[in-house]
Amino acid sequence: MNGLYIRWIGALALGILIGLLGARRYVHDVRAISPERLLNEPSAETVRVLGRVEAGSLVKDPSKGEMVFHLAGEKERLSVRYAGEEPENLRELKTLVIVGRWNRTDGVLEAEKIALIPNYGFVTAAYLVALLPLGFFLFYMERKVAILYTLIKDEKIYQPEESFERQ
Amino acid sequence: MLSQRIIGKLRRYEGWFAAASAVCIATGLYMGLVTSPPDYYQGEVVRIMYVHVPFAQGAMFAYTLLFAGSLWYLWKREPLVDNMCHAAAGVGVFFTTVALVTGSIWAKPTWNTWWTWDPRLVSFAVLLVVLIGYLMLRTFLDDREKEATYAAVLAIVGFVDLPIIHYSVEWWRTLHQPLSISMRGVSIAPGMLVPLTFMSIGLTLLLTYMIMVRTQMIYLQRLLEAKQGRLLSQVQL
Repeated sequence: MNGLYIRWIGALALGILIGLLGARRYVHDVRAISPERLLNEPSAETVRVLGRVEAGSLVKDPSKGEMVFHLAGEKERLSVRYAGEEPENLRELKTLVIVGRWNRTDGVLEAEKIALIPNYGFVTAAYLVALLPLGFFLFYMERKVAILYTLIKDEKIYQPEESFERQ
Repeated sequence: MLSQRIIGKLRRYEGWFAAASAVCIATGLYMGLVTSPPDYYQGEVVRIMYVHVPFAQGAMFAYTLLFAGSLWYLWKREPLVDNMCHAAAGVGVFFTTVALVTGSIWAKPTWNTWWTWDPRLVSFAVLLVVLIGYLMLRTFLDDREKEATYAAVLAIVGFVDLPIIHYSVEWWRTLHQPLSISMRGVSIAPGMLVPLTFMSIGLTLLLTYMIMVRTQMIYLQRLLEAKQGRLLSQVQL
């Protein structure tokens, strides 16, 4: 039985380690802030801002290879400038994540990358729904088998029938 | 005696399956959650694939084992094979349920619905119903041999659902995406294929390990019941 618990503590530690790495990646590469937060707490670092592309605000300039639009949050909006190949997902009224740097002088978010809304809650839910019951189910079976072996050993089940009846 | 020898072998080799599956799953999870790229169309949500697809494959593999074991049981009448079938059905119910639930969670952000009457989804839900029916049937009968025979027949009849599940995305126009890996080639980016392969191999090994453990569990439960039954009969005498 001790071996079973030690094995499971090891598996749990490995699971927690992978979970922490996943959470770290979420904080660094996935989590986004709102346009309001960027305007209230401007940062010189690269930021990820989640908002909706405002209707009628998207202006494309093919000669410069530039796109300009407004990204709306719940209360406020900010201007975004993106230079580069036109992303497939950039459309009006679409909720997107803009990765870029805030230009304090122009009051514009200089976008480096345009990404889709992460929906990470669904990802987390799917992994928890799959892996937690899997762990419980497996632990239950292994523990039950260990208990059954102990019980059968105590019952002396492998003894032949005759010797059992002679007792 | 043969059953005891096989159970002994299962006990001896099951650890290798557990260790190999742990390595593959840990690698697959790390790559799937940390290093693999988001999809250009679905974004981060594509990471659900690394659990949904291997669980669905595992469910179908469990049913294939159940089908093969049922044929074998009807031919040889070996009780341990019946125990293996019973174990595969129990583990299969778990894998099928997880595949359906994770699929539903994936459907919400991509299809904007938790459930739709799509042929792939319906045929997979039918698989769950067949497996639950199989387990329920096994609780209705007192005669162990009849129970095993009827259950084996049900499992063989239910196998017709497996090709329907597999080809449903080709036979009908469905919302579910077509096969990413087929005879026509592989339509999945290498950055996603590697973690998916690790998870698929890892969960298949884990499924095999779980069936090995559950087969022992069912065998030992019956052995203990037989022993306790004998004790009871001795008390009555």
